[in-house]
Amino acid sequence: MWEVNVLEKTIYIRMRHRLHISSDENVILKDAAQIIAPESVLKKIENLKIHQLTEADGNIVIIDVMKVIKQITEELGDFEVQTIGPPQTIIEVVTKKKGASMPFFLLIWFLLFFGSAMTLMNFHDDVSMKSVQEKIYTIITGEKDEKPLLFQISYSIGLGLGMILFFNHVFKKRINDEPSPLEVEMFNYQMDLDNYVILHENKESMKHVHDD
Amino acid sequence: MTIKILMVLFLGFASGLSVGAGYVAFLTVLGIIPRLMQLSKTMKMIHHYEWAVVIGALAGVLADLRDPILGLPAFLLIFLGLTGGVFVGMMAAGLTEALNVFPILAKRIHLDGKIVILIMAIVLGKIFGSIFQWVYFVHQ
Repeated sequence: MWEVNVLEKTIYIRMRHRLHISSDENVILKDAAQIIAPESVLKKIENLKIHQLTEADGNIVIIDVMKVIKQITEELGDFEVQTIGPPQTIIEVVTKKKGASMPFFLLIWFLLFFGSAMTLMNFHDDVSMKSVQEKIYTIITGEKDEKPLLFQISYSIGLGLGMILFFNHVFKKRINDEPSPLEVEMFNYQMDLDNYVILHENKESMKHVHDD
Repeated sequence: MTIKILMVLFLGFASGLSVGAGYVAFLTVLGIIPRLMQLSKTMKMIHHYEWAVVIGALAGVLADLRDPILGLPAFLLIFLGLTGGVFVGMMAAGLTEALNVFPILAKRIHLDGKIVILIMAIVLGKIFGSIFQWVYFVHQ
């Protein structure tokens, strides 16, 4: 009998990793976490307002699970809250979607274009690519040629092909389900950023006792 | 005399060892071979790929030091140029990736969805730069 009672009085919450929300909305628990709770209180908990977004919040707010537990117990009293998974949710406040401006984008595109062209030419010069190519031409054909274009043009095309191959954008349809190195890299970078904001935006995550 | 020969042998061996080890270490950091295996699903052939790299490096050394002449038809150079180019391109891509250029750039200018366009800028820039250099630039 007692065990059944305990079971009925337990609320399980699992904070979501990340929540995108627009700036005029309130953060309710249903959005910030997955909840399992007794039917009688589920609706009430789901719509529990856990944070009011203000101007001062900026665009990233961290909701700590401790704050959520505190609010649930204040609201409902005699319930046991079990938490599973990440101890906080990162709330990203999405202001009006600002697309990149066109001239700015074109400038960066050209910067990358010309930058990589120039870097590659410097690289070729640095490693004496020209003399090596002429040597290879002589080895293969036995003739001397100042302009082994046959080799050089195919090399140039292969160069671009190699980069595309590495980033797996040859076929719009994936070759297999594994993510490309770039996607993994983007993910790792995002995780690093998340870890940073979890520690720095959450006032409770660090405490200085001796402040002298 | 014997001492001199032994000394030169030792020095040659030592410098070859460090250059070879450095080359393989560099190749490993850039992750070209794992990437190719992942694309072609030939993980089991890894030992053959290792040997391909080693034999290729030795063939390069031989070609560089002995100046052999093979007298083969010139169109073979198209194949050699393409494969050599793909290899250098993958190296360049691996280096860009190791330096974290794209994630930071895309985040900074809010272009998360259009990262392919940025990659294409770099790819086309490389092709253009390379062709421009060989067709025009080196003969000026």
